[in-house]
Amino acid sequence: MNLTRRQTLASLAALAGSGLMPSLTFAQDAGTFRIGALNPITGAGGPYGTGMQKMIAAAAEVVNAAGGAAGRMFEVFAEDTQTQPQAAVLAAKKLIEVNKVQAVLGTWSSGVSLAVLPLASEANIPLFHCSGAPALSVAPANEKKLGYRFQATNDRFGRAFAEIATKEGFKRPATMAFNNASGIGNTEGFEKAWKAKGGEIVASVVYEPAQPSYRAELQKILDAKPDVIVMGSYIADTTIILREWYQTGEENTFIMPAWAGNPELVKALGPDVVEGIISVDSISNEGSPAFAAFDAAYQSAVGHPGLTNVYAAMTWDMVTVLALAMEAAGPGADMAAINAKIREVANPDGKQVSSFAEGKEALKSGPINYEGASSVLDFDEFGDVTPDFAASFIRSGEIKREYVVTL
Amino acid sequence: MDAYLIAIAIVSGIYLLLALGLNLQFGLTGLINFGHVGFFCVGAYTSAILSTNGVPVAWSLLAAALVGMLAAWPLGVISIRLREDYFAIASLGFSEIVRLVATSEGWLTNGVQGIAGIPRIFSGVTGQSQAIAMLAIVTVFCVLAILAMRRIVRSPFGRMIEAIRDNEEAVKSLGKDPAGFKMQVLLLGSMLAGLSGALYAHYIGYISPDQFIPFITFQIWMAIIMGGVGRISGTVAGVIILMVFLEGSRFLRDIAPFIPEVAMASIRLGAIGLALMLFTIYRPQGLMGDYTKR
Repeated sequence: MNLTRRQTLASLAALAGSGLMPSLTFAQDAGTFRIGALNPITGAGGPYGTGMQKMIAAAAEVVNAAGGAAGRMFEVFAEDTQTQPQAAVLAAKKLIEVNKVQAVLGTWSSGVSLAVLPLASEANIPLFHCSGAPALSVAPANEKKLGYRFQATNDRFGRAFAEIATKEGFKRPATMAFNNASGIGNTEGFEKAWKAKGGEIVASVVYEPAQPSYRAELQKILDAKPDVIVMGSYIADTTIILREWYQTGEENTFIMPAWAGNPELVKALGPDVVEGIISVDSISNEGSPAFAAFDAAYQSAVGHPGLTNVYAAMTWDMVTVLALAMEAAGPGADMAAINAKIREVANPDGKQVSSFAEGKEALKSGPINYEGASSVLDFDEFGDVTPDFAASFIRSGEIKREYVVTL
Repeated sequence: MDAYLIAIAIVSGIYLLLALGLNLQFGLTGLINFGHVGFFCVGAYTSAILSTNGVPVAWSLLAAALVGMLAAWPLGVISIRLREDYFAIASLGFSEIVRLVATSEGWLTNGVQGIAGIPRIFSGVTGQSQAIAMLAIVTVFCVLAILAMRRIVRSPFGRMIEAIRDNEEAVKSLGKDPAGFKMQVLLLGSMLAGLSGALYAHYIGYISPDQFIPFITFQIWMAIIMGGVGRISGTVAGVIILMVFLEGSRFLRDIAPFIPEVAMASIRLGAIGLALMLFTIYRPQGLMGDYTKR
């Protein structure tokens, strides 16, 4: 095969042209409501993104099966953020400008959400995200109040850690944080709340991701003889740290977020290593009907238990909340009217509902309060949720919730 | 659609500035720089820090280009005399150092939280006209950079650096000092990268260290390899090809709806990899490569 420059140029031009053409023939169908699923399929968010996107599609199907939101069927357009702000900006522009989506759901890392939120605001459409950075709550990023956070802020997680450490009677906490906004947000939130209670931190360390060993960092912490180590960590690094910690034979325990202290961790290390670890999660309403519905959908779409992906539960709720707000705003409502209803359908003082169909029915007779799969979903004035937190203890390989912490 | 095309054009322009710098270094001089993103990062942070502290954007852009250039100085002093593949490793290390400094020096860079709320270049206008103004600025810088490159290629300096690329020993035997020329090329390329980083920071509005991973460097490498190494037209073509693949593949799903959303992301990366392999097999000199030489 011997291509000339001319042939190559022509075929590339044809490729570019064929790529752009169908987009020009899109017609706007008044009967459908287009939502953009903008998730981290590749990059750092890769382990969660696929499940998140599948749950947006699954929840949209549930809404459509129940007759649509205010009579409008959801149509999902999916894109990958690559967990990179610059790629996410282009993907968001494509969703908004070309696919004409009217809501963007499911951005993950804070960098991505901070880059996408101004674009969504400019187009006057809401962005539902699962990012922890405090900057996403306030102006300039959230000036138009179109950003809704379905994840607890990292700071709130830290406060919950401090409450649990107090309740358990720990005196000498140390912290270890994965070096990113989320990891450090967790431990800094803890340190702030702990010091406010008059406690002191005996040691703290921030570690770099993707190391084969964390022995040096761990030794620095253990030298201070802590009675508990508070982690802002992820599953991969936690597995290595705990293995190395177990080899030292120290007796302290750990408090960690549930995305690190989950069944996979127990499976990787065995019950002896993880005995007594306190795993903290915003309450995913397991046992609630919403969670059961999500769990069933997640099992059939991904093949894992719903508990393994807290963010997928959030994207499930995103679609449901959006649909309920549209239902409450009535047929033909514009985005401003729908946006005004989001808090109304999710916050207390209405009839508690846990699915779109149930909420649709209940809306006929009065206000509702959607209790989600990811949390009870009550938005404050900044569009943030303050879920309750659960302290679960790992005993004999089983993760059991023992009590609930309310901030 | 317009705003999306404008966004693609702006990002292409930012990539083009990066690619022009790398083409000067690798294509014309033979300097294998695997740390290009480091200077991009330096430029982005310089302009972001200055402009969020009240320095007018015009000055912070200038400062970003200068600081980007100065950041290359120590790297050059230490490692410019290394043989080409060793320089590649040193430069890759340099870009990782820059990223780690940005991660760790929280007092300056706000660490992993990143710098948010970086002012736009024309704060007076909003929406579509803001994007068009941004595109105009990027285009002006790209045109200026291309003109400067053409000037360099045709000058005695340009012939000298090409001679260094083709046969460094021969250049030495003529009594010339290749290291000095390489240093100048490194500084010039880094200046372009610094400027490009500043434009990126003002366009995206939020920067954090994890945006400046070596992957960016290698995307630029892909662009100049596909376009044609050592050719300015090749650099432009390469950036366009890269963007067509990165962005054009988004529309593949609209033509081929049987591909599930989730598989699409992986297919996109696969398509780029396949294209890169096909280019190296069938068009090793790139689309616009110089076929007069062997």
